[in-house]
Amino acid sequence: MIRASAVRLLAIGATSLGVLAAVAGSPRKDSSPSIDVAALARDVQTEADHVTAIELARWIRDRKPNLRIIDIRDSAEFARYHVPQAERLPIEEVVKASFNPGETIVLYSGGGAHAAQAWVLLRTRGEKNVFFLRGGVSEWLDEVMNPQAPAHLSGQARDEADSVAALSRYFGGVPRQVDSAVPIQSFKAATARVRGRGC
Amino acid sequence: MIAPFFESGLFSETASLAVALLIGIGFGWFLERSGMGSARKLAGQFYLRDLTVFKVMFTAIITAMLGVFWLGWAGVLDLDRIFVPETWILPQLAGGILFGIGFAISGLCPGTSCVAAATGRIDGVAVVVGMFSGVLVTGLFFTKLANFYLSTARGVFTLPQLFHVDQGVIVLAVVLLGVGGFQLAELIEKRSAGTSSE
Repeated sequence: MIRASAVRLLAIGATSLGVLAAVAGSPRKDSSPSIDVAALARDVQTEADHVTAIELARWIRDRKPNLRIIDIRDSAEFARYHVPQAERLPIEEVVKASFNPGETIVLYSGGGAHAAQAWVLLRTRGEKNVFFLRGGVSEWLDEVMNPQAPAHLSGQARDEADSVAALSRYFGGVPRQVDSAVPIQSFKAATARVRGRGC
Repeated sequence: MIAPFFESGLFSETASLAVALLIGIGFGWFLERSGMGSARKLAGQFYLRDLTVFKVMFTAIITAMLGVFWLGWAGVLDLDRIFVPETWILPQLAGGILFGIGFAISGLCPGTSCVAAATGRIDGVAVVVGMFSGVLVTGLFFTKLANFYLSTARGVFTLPQLFHVDQGVIVLAVVLLGVGGFQLAELIEKRSAGTSSE
């Protein structure tokens, strides 16, 4: 009998705490995020808002913990090519998704514009660790998958070019050394590339 | 260990491992003491003979849920720092079905299989070996599974988001579900005890 009454007491206690919880609504004191526009502007000014393709590639290679790469392009573009480890999430899903604290979010699109807009939306929503890939997939393809460095380099510039070439090979890219006097690509190919960029 | 103590820097990594060990020992102890190391007891719930598992689970869920809610409300716990696992609808549905089949056949789940193995039950050892072999095989073939594994991703997705209600409403709903389930479980157990003694 003592056990039965103890169980009843616990049930009543739990139920009342549950009813009070429904009345209290949200356990968070203040959930409306305030937008610090000045801080956003500062991050843009100091270029703390984006990563370059090379930086992102190093993060992936070095297995930066809690890195999430989000591709905001459509599924056909994603299927054709995407940055390794990226997940596809349309921009309207990105702004609704909740991220875990400690996660580093990198957004990218075809060029840079859409990802930059998504960056602003996420920042105004209160996410802090958000970046966008500056030049989008195009930059990734140009800088990581097909990097071109002048053949005659020395010192630090040589080391940097070698490091980028090694990084490129890690991702299965084809680094090339070119004679800087010769134009890299034909005008037609360059235009086609820019046209394909979109946002 | 994950949030909140480790996240807020209260513990060093070593201290958090020590705490995790202590919590693990405590968890194992209570699982064993509540009879969860026995496959017979666990299988009992599928035959509606013994609903201890259901009752223990819901007691734990309600206690932890009310604690988290009210500690967050009082400002003691920063709910934003608590890790919430992400949702992948189809792969998790498939995993859940597979898990359920395994649970019903072996009468053990991952935690209880470790407890059963530790108390020397052969079936517990078999389930533990099987479980880790499964993990290994999945790891080996992960590239083939990756597409499915990462499909229908919803990110961090919780019941308040799904139903567009406050967290407190979900808390009440789960409490009522638990308390109601408890009553029903006792009723079912009584009835089953009645029929088996006839």
